Amino acid sequence: MKRMKAVSVMLAVIILSCSVLAGCSSGNSSNKESSNAPGGSTANSGESAGAIKLDIIETGNNLPTPDKDFIKQAIDKAIQSDLNLTVYASGDDYKNQLNVRLASGNFPDLFQVPDRASLKQFVEQGLLLDLTPYMDKLQPVKDFIGDESLKKTTMDGKVYAVPKAPNIPYNTYWIRKDWLDKLGLQPPATTDEFLNVVKAFADQDPDGNGKKDTLGLTSSKISAFAPIFGAFGVGDPNTFYVKDGKLTNSLYDPAMKDALGYIKKLIDTGAVDPEIMANTGLQHQEKAIKGQAGIIWIDWPNLSKDQFTEQIKKVNPNADWIQLAPPKGPGGQYDGPFDIGGTSGIYAIPKALENNKEKLQKVFDLLNFVSGQEGSMLVQFGISGTHYNLDGDKVVPTELMGKEAGFTWLYQFTGRPEMTYLQTKFAPQTKYIEFANSQPRIQILNGFLTNPDGYNPADAGRFIEEEFVKFIYGKNPLTGYEGFLSTLESSMNFKTYMDASTKQLEELGYGK
Amino acid sequence: MNQRTAVHPVQETAPKPVLVSEFGRNIWRYKAFYLMLLPGLIYYIVFKYIPMYGVIIAFKNFNMMDGIWSSPWASPWNKHFLTFFHSPYFSQLLTNTFLISFYKLVFGMIPPIAMALLLNECRIKWFKSLIQTLTYMPHFLSWVIIYGILLALLSQSSGLLNQWLKDAGGEAIPFLTSTSYFRSILVGSEIWQNLGWGAIIYLAAISGIDPTLYEAARVDGAGRMRMIWHITLPGIRTVIIMLLILKLGHILDAGFEQIYIMYNIQVYAVADILDTWVFRTGLQQLNFSLASAVGLFKAAIGLVLVLGSNKLAKRWGEGIW
Amino acid sequence: MVKSTNDRIANAVVFVILLACGLVAVFPLLYVLSVSLTPFSEVLKNGGFILVPRSITFDAYHKLLTESNIPRAFGVTVLVTVIGTIMNMAITALMAYPLSRKQLPGRNFFLMMVVFTLLFSGGIIPTYLVVKSLGLLDSIWAMILPNLVWSFNVLIMKSFYESLPEELFESARIDGAKEFRILLQIVAPLSVPVTLTIGLFYTVGHWNEFFQAIMFVTDRSLFPLQVVVREILIQTQQPLENAENMTPSETLQMASVILASLPIILVYPFLQKHFTKGMLLGSVKG
Repeated sequence: MKRMKAVSVMLAVIILSCSVLAGCSSGNSSNKESSNAPGGSTANSGESAGAIKLDIIETGNNLPTPDKDFIKQAIDKAIQSDLNLTVYASGDDYKNQLNVRLASGNFPDLFQVPDRASLKQFVEQGLLLDLTPYMDKLQPVKDFIGDESLKKTTMDGKVYAVPKAPNIPYNTYWIRKDWLDKLGLQPPATTDEFLNVVKAFADQDPDGNGKKDTLGLTSSKISAFAPIFGAFGVGDPNTFYVKDGKLTNSLYDPAMKDALGYIKKLIDTGAVDPEIMANTGLQHQEKAIKGQAGIIWIDWPNLSKDQFTEQIKKVNPNADWIQLAPPKGPGGQYDGPFDIGGTSGIYAIPKALENNKEKLQKVFDLLNFVSGQEGSMLVQFGISGTHYNLDGDKVVPTELMGKEAGFTWLYQFTGRPEMTYLQTKFAPQTKYIEFANSQPRIQILNGFLTNPDGYNPADAGRFIEEEFVKFIYGKNPLTGYEGFLSTLESSMNFKTYMDASTKQLEELGYGK
Repeated sequence: MNQRTAVHPVQETAPKPVLVSEFGRNIWRYKAFYLMLLPGLIYYIVFKYIPMYGVIIAFKNFNMMDGIWSSPWASPWNKHFLTFFHSPYFSQLLTNTFLISFYKLVFGMIPPIAMALLLNECRIKWFKSLIQTLTYMPHFLSWVIIYGILLALLSQSSGLLNQWLKDAGGEAIPFLTSTSYFRSILVGSEIWQNLGWGAIIYLAAISGIDPTLYEAARVDGAGRMRMIWHITLPGIRTVIIMLLILKLGHILDAGFEQIYIMYNIQVYAVADILDTWVFRTGLQQLNFSLASAVGLFKAAIGLVLVLGSNKLAKRWGEGIW
Repeated sequence: MVKSTNDRIANAVVFVILLACGLVAVFPLLYVLSVSLTPFSEVLKNGGFILVPRSITFDAYHKLLTESNIPRAFGVTVLVTVIGTIMNMAITALMAYPLSRKQLPGRNFFLMMVVFTLLFSGGIIPTYLVVKSLGLLDSIWAMILPNLVWSFNVLIMKSFYESLPEELFESARIDGAKEFRILLQIVAPLSVPVTLTIGLFYTVGHWNEFFQAIMFVTDRSLFPLQVVVREILIQTQQPLENAENMTPSETLQMASVILASLPIILVYPFLQKHFTKGMLLGSVKG
């Protein structure tokens, strides 16, 4: 007993002294100092000796090694730099890496900010360089992404990061045309017809194998019903939008209850994928390709890219997926919502770079370069003459583009002109791209929001999702919806969040 | 500092008041031992104990710019612990964590031991090593892959098992989205993954048992069961108890990676554990202080359990120290 | 030796149970192997679950071995595993032996120090700072040194050393053997099974390690196997919102799993034959 105590005390002493040690000497020497590996500099050929090395980290994949990375080589040549880009396939790994590097002062020179919540945190902790005074130096970037875009990375009137150029929506419902034909049905145009088709796909054996083994509708999570919410004029759960000139949160939209009631009817048919809430990654897409489901809510790349159309054809040569306009309902006709505050990437520069004017200028050069005519073409399509040829203004891809220029988007730090870019790179998919882009959508504003203190978005998010699942699966009656809202406010601090969000959006001029 | 429980009397000891000089002499006498310990100790100090100051993050509002030392203290000092205790899900998280971990401990402890005993009883050499290799393989499949396989078997809409059920005229069972099956699947898949791998250590322990004991027993006409009961099991008792104590220390680690990959909103009520909550709340929102506070909470409980169980085990002469 | 009927029944029971366990363990691997050899569209056509490959193709393996980072990463992993395991074993044995001697002054303190780190850790940020200040970032040492000794293995080894008969040490000491020699010439040869077991734990640990590499290494040419495989697997788990993102097919994913785990699985049968009995007896008597 006593011995145990003594041991604990001694341990405590050791820990304390260790901490002191660590605190005082950051460069504590040890016999373990190794003959360090040469690091990343080996990759660079000796000729660009005066080039400034830029460390960049972001999420992504399939980046080739530097010797095969012709984009890196071209940029290095153009702006006299030595880019060292590191990409992480897993968003979680990336966050871990970014955090330890920021916390240990080992700052990258340019890095992707995971989301707006992180942006807020980084800004509050003084980690990011305020770009406002440098805006004139970033004129090409500004021209490229548009002034409006900078709102997305502005906090308290200061610009702390560069968002990518605006993106466009990809998601729609897709439906099996051949199944419709087989059952003699038309593509559903209203919510009632939608319900019938979903039911028929499950009950009337559209694949003709004599077994009741098909599903009407699949997707991943609650967003499977995005166009349904749209048909009732509401956004996805917990989204903000302007309705009839008033700022509204979908949870408080009176039409939300009706939408839930309809979704419950849909689920009651037994024709909706029972694992719709459990599907992650591309599980729902696989179900669709396997011929298990007749309708899916998904982005066009994951169902219409060559890679997948090939799979679809091989599994069933008759399978014919077409896009479906959102069904009309009592609240109108809207496809899944589109977040006008969202971006496909935010890039920031650490405040520490302030003192290294030369390097800072080089980062600006880089951002300006990939936003300018020459650089933008490079990071979009590759090397002129090798990966594409110009026919007047039109970019004509060569065969090599598909083969080796698939990674160039990793260098699109400021984005790209989305529509023309996609139409060039995905020429066969052009009609799907245009269709998805031209659907009416509720414009949501969540991308502009940051969470107030005392509000735990993880707990609240879980509560909302869980309760919604209970409503649509009939575990709780919809009459309990008001009760749900008051619990949300009382135990999840949702009121604080609502007030803060409303204030933030009003400041940006929404709902006034 | 001598162990009174030591079976073999050690010559130089006398439990009298220890004189400094005698203590010093003792240390000098064992200098070779200390020298051996040295590289390991340096490792522990450099890579384990120096970073240990990081636990103070739990009591600070960690700010990356200021670093660990200069970040302001949290006020009140236990602010991050309170965030955790006051979460509406606190009691559910604790219950889930404890139950899943407890089931894994109870149901997961026996199969590898049984496996080792069976392998030890197997008289066909090639068959033994074949089975040993086969059962060891699942350890190398990551949870992502295992979940993929589970889906292929258990999915309500397309799983093989449910196909059979439906073909036999039954109803499909929502194994992966129903609160009634989920924990069993967690525990079951872990046992499956760990069966052969967990047996390795017991096999090593069994191989350390003096074979003359078996010969003597055989001469006495003891049957197999009796030999297992009286020789093999006592022979690996030390290892079993040690593993048990160490596992108790990790009672609040219910297996983050497995659950994170396998759970979904419909089973959160039975599957959400401390680590998954910390991941969603703390790490995804960059709240290192919260993550650190929960880690400290878990470790403190683990420490109490390790100290307690070790003390208990010592009564039977089997403690870790 | 006369075999009783009882004994034969027991043998049969053992055989059947083990066979069942073997089958249950092997079928998922069979699945992984089959998918890795079958064109993905074939897999989907068959409902996504196959145990026997249909229309075999080695495309996935060919692609991984020629186009991906796998061959290079394989080299890194082997290097880290070999160097790492040797260092791990040496230091673990050196720690375990003194800690197994119950008369060692301060033994409890050291043991407590070892156990304590099983529960408490300072977290990734201070560890990163230590690794950084030692200049280990972006080197293979960053994948070896931060996990040089596993407390768990020290405790296992120590408890095996404790179970060696005390007379052994007494007689050696009378011979005037130095402690290092006792460890090397008496203790080590007597504990081959536990040494191999611990060695296996370390080897597998190094082989499966990816976290340290992700945290401490940014140079792609130093990425170990598991990081590369993880990149391939994760792409379908967390699809990036990007149209160009090439999703690796399940065939490719499974092939990467096979490539990453087969070598280490094949190590095991070679170790098994050393888990033999009777070694202890022979040397004590001899």
